[in-house]
Amino acid sequence: MGCAKDIVEYVGVPRFLFSDFPLGNPAGRPHDRESQDATLELALLLLETAPAPRTTLQSPLRWSDDPDWKLDYSNIARLSPEEIARRRAEFDRQKEIAKRIRDKPEAAE
Amino acid sequence: MNEAEDGFGFAPDHDEPIPYRQRIRDYYQTLGYGAPYRWAHYAEVPFAPVTRPLAESRVALITTAAPYQPDKGDQGPGAAYNAAPKFYTVYSGDSAADHDLRIAHIAYDRAHTTAEDSNTWFPLPALRRTAEARRIGEVAPRFHGAPTNRSHRTTLDVDCPELLRRIREDRADAVILVAV
Repeated sequence: MGCAKDIVEYVGVPRFLFSDFPLGNPAGRPHDRESQDATLELALLLLETAPAPRTTLQSPLRWSDDPDWKLDYSNIARLSPEEIARRRAEFDRQKEIAKRIRDKPEAAE
Repeated sequence: MNEAEDGFGFAPDHDEPIPYRQRIRDYYQTLGYGAPYRWAHYAEVPFAPVTRPLAESRVALITTAAPYQPDKGDQGPGAAYNAAPKFYTVYSGDSAADHDLRIAHIAYDRAHTTAEDSNTWFPLPALRRTAEARRIGEVAPRFHGAPTNRSHRTTLDVDCPELLRRIREDRADAVILVAV
């Protein structure tokens, strides 16, 4: 189950339930049990019925009537030079934190 | 005048799955990082047909979410990206219990979702409901956490074999991997 269609299909998986939702919501809409149960049911259905590897099933659920949310994620064309500089500094900082945990797991305990 | 305006009812051009690989490549290149990330990529993909009815099957769950660690900074809802709670070894948890798993260590869409409801990325309660409804035989005794390590070698040589070992130990018939 996932939201990044191009990445999962590029990797290649036996079965893929795709939700065309913002990253972070592969199992349904927040605070909406009906949509979460429907999403898992589609995953189970896919498990039972996929005829071959790389079978993708797209959930019919829509995140929003307005598709403009799709323009924002990591869209460099929408960022100012100042914002790009800020994000670069933050990315370096987080990478350093991740490196410290990976190299010395006990230091992160 | 575009086609939609012509009355064909076509959706806007950008109303399609987001081209993440292109976006991410352009993003990091503009931020000044040279060599683009290389995603795993296979021409041949394995496939195992389901051999027994789901109503008699034991189904396991794999997640990329991380256990909440109060001493590791803001982990949301709505937290900025936070690498501190990242984990680098496979972990497992009791499927019968409730768990507080977060995704602050992952680049989810912070502009359009807030990570308030863990059921949108960790459907363990929903999976238990399918067992109660006898849609599946049972939930495997443990769920497993897959590290989002950027080393392909570690993922392939260490984490994946370990996940498979645990899944087999749990005698699961099928696995649902929920990737954030």
